[in-house]
Amino acid sequence: MKRLGMAVAIVFFFSLFGARAFGQELRLSIPLPLTGSEAKFGEMEKRSYEIAMQEINAKGGIKGKKVVLEFEDSQGKPEISRAIAEKLIDVKKQPVLFGDYSSSCSKAIAAVANERKIPYMVVTGAADNITQQHYNYVFRMNPSSTYYSGGLISFFQNVVKPKTIAILYESSDFGTSGAEAMVKDAQKIGMKIVMKEKYEKGAVDFKPILSKVKLERPDVIYMVSYVMDASLLMKQIKELRIDAKLFAGGAAGFAIPGFVDNAKDAANYVVTSTLWSPQVKYPGGKEFAEKYKKLYGDYPSYHGAEAYSALYVIKDILTRAKAWKPEDIRKAMGATNMETAFGPIKFQDKEGYQNQNFMDTLVLQVINGDFQTIWPQKYASAKYIYPIPAWRQRR
Amino acid sequence: MTSALLEVLLQTLISGILLGGLYALIGIGMTLIMGVMKIINLAHGELMMVAMYVAYWMFVLFHIDPYLSVLIATPLLFFLGVGIQKFLINPVLKVDSILPENQVILTVGIGMVLANLATIFFTADYRSTPVNYATSAWYLSDYWRSSPIELSLSVPWTVSFGFALFITVALWFFLTKTDAGKSIRATAQDMETALLMGVNVKLMRVVTFGIGSGLVGAAGCLFIPIYYLFPSLGGQFTLIAFVITILGGLGSTVGAILGGLILGIFESMTATYVGMGWAPVGRFAIFIACLIFLPGGVASLLRRKRLGK
Repeated sequence: MKRLGMAVAIVFFFSLFGARAFGQELRLSIPLPLTGSEAKFGEMEKRSYEIAMQEINAKGGIKGKKVVLEFEDSQGKPEISRAIAEKLIDVKKQPVLFGDYSSSCSKAIAAVANERKIPYMVVTGAADNITQQHYNYVFRMNPSSTYYSGGLISFFQNVVKPKTIAILYESSDFGTSGAEAMVKDAQKIGMKIVMKEKYEKGAVDFKPILSKVKLERPDVIYMVSYVMDASLLMKQIKELRIDAKLFAGGAAGFAIPGFVDNAKDAANYVVTSTLWSPQVKYPGGKEFAEKYKKLYGDYPSYHGAEAYSALYVIKDILTRAKAWKPEDIRKAMGATNMETAFGPIKFQDKEGYQNQNFMDTLVLQVINGDFQTIWPQKYASAKYIYPIPAWRQRR
Repeated sequence: MTSALLEVLLQTLISGILLGGLYALIGIGMTLIMGVMKIINLAHGELMMVAMYVAYWMFVLFHIDPYLSVLIATPLLFFLGVGIQKFLINPVLKVDSILPENQVILTVGIGMVLANLATIFFTADYRSTPVNYATSAWYLSDYWRSSPIELSLSVPWTVSFGFALFITVALWFFLTKTDAGKSIRATAQDMETALLMGVNVKLMRVVTFGIGSGLVGAAGCLFIPIYYLFPSLGGQFTLIAFVITILGGLGSTVGAILGGLILGIFESMTATYVGMGWAPVGRFAIFIACLIFLPGGVASLLRRKRLGK
């Protein structure tokens, strides 16, 4: 009997000890596309999360616990994201989910999270309907794609005053909802849509469709694409000498340095809406951009800023949550109201959205091979160039 | 208005032919291997990806133009193909297995390994070779001032097409005029008879896999100035090559050339007149239609005509 008591005491002691040692660390797993065609963004986000993790740990972690991030490769495939979400909920018992890159993957996780009543914060997935399905447990810190083009629309209204527009978009969730948003905006400001065409990601030759665009002579050509398609589109537009008054891109592919590197001179004067740029005046935004550049040799796109800020938002939520249980975390998440490097974060229910963050968007223009913020004027880093020269006159 | 519509039609046709020529070169390599080995090489696109990385690094490290890299990547890929055949596929051919097509499954595995190795070594970044003629083009209106329509012909696309044409013709001469070429064709037509006639069938198999890989390697070098590169790019080109192989009639080289052109023109026409999002659907519609209505592919049509005479 004595022996048994001893054994119990020892087990008890060790379990206490074990629990304490475990309690020093807060392990959080993040699904990201680390391989596959979206891996470039996955990698950028991973690096940004890690920068935030180091900063947070240097300042004492979250409630005294050291943050340890683990990354799960979702390969950009929704079915894998779904499996990862289930694993995190069932096996790792993680009380909160956040991350992943594409809209399709985020949507898959959102469905699981809501069904299982685990709060999930979408970081980059922009398709409108993610926060329109009355998911009580799904929050989104990035604006939905309808609002991506807010800045661009105001630039159209005030400067370009276009009458017709042609829309080309990638046939994914992201591309489709970006195009739908532009259709609504175009109707709102009285632009006629002369063409609306989708294409499959990874297409080699856009010239057939572009020669059709040329026939329609639109004032504005608006494209929603990822980076390499964006470069190919502009290169082939240059080849065909299609002279629109303005070439506009809907964030993503048009807003990252790789676009200018690949399209080279064909990228000049293209404007794009974006959520964030390294020169923007949000607290910590510039510092993050410089730090990232020092470590990895290039400025991050807004996806990096979103990931970086996401961890700070999670820190804020976990600090305020009564207990680290799904229900308490959800309540804390709903009450979020903070400034981040990515901009102000506050989850609201309006215009058919639920738990959605709303914010100002910017317009960038490629001027002499560099991105400059040109709109809204209060954030501008350079004067916009409009009208743009015709292809024939460019040298 | 009609001249504008004509412009769209002609521009689409030009795009289709240029694209088709390149497709054909990708398809021929697979067809050749299919003909001799009776297996579909599903690592075809990944081999092209390897060649594109060769061209890319040659460009970045030594400033060698991608078109010159054809001379480097093609032999390299030839030996890679020979190696794959000799050390991986041949041993598997000898093993009895439940599945008769286990060499095909092996090629899938090889493809996966290549794609993942590329991800490990070169990261998943998109790459391209920004050559300075990337967006140059010849314009009809520059040569004919009063032209009612404007057509443009992209310089890199046209050069790539020219190279593809040249390589295809060279291959045709090799297959029809040389001893080695004739032996390959004999092996493709009837392996056992070829064996009886003293053809070194084993060697021919190895050489064929090498040539097939070399061809798709050349195609990779021709593609990189007009396209871009990432490790998982192979799958989509394997698929295209597969469709062309079926379309052309399994194993027929002339069929593959025609199949490539048909696919290129068909895709461009679909893009213009139906919608670009439909191009992949069109690709598979033509694929299934071909399987149902023309199981022998274009080659069977050619053969029928020849017999008719």
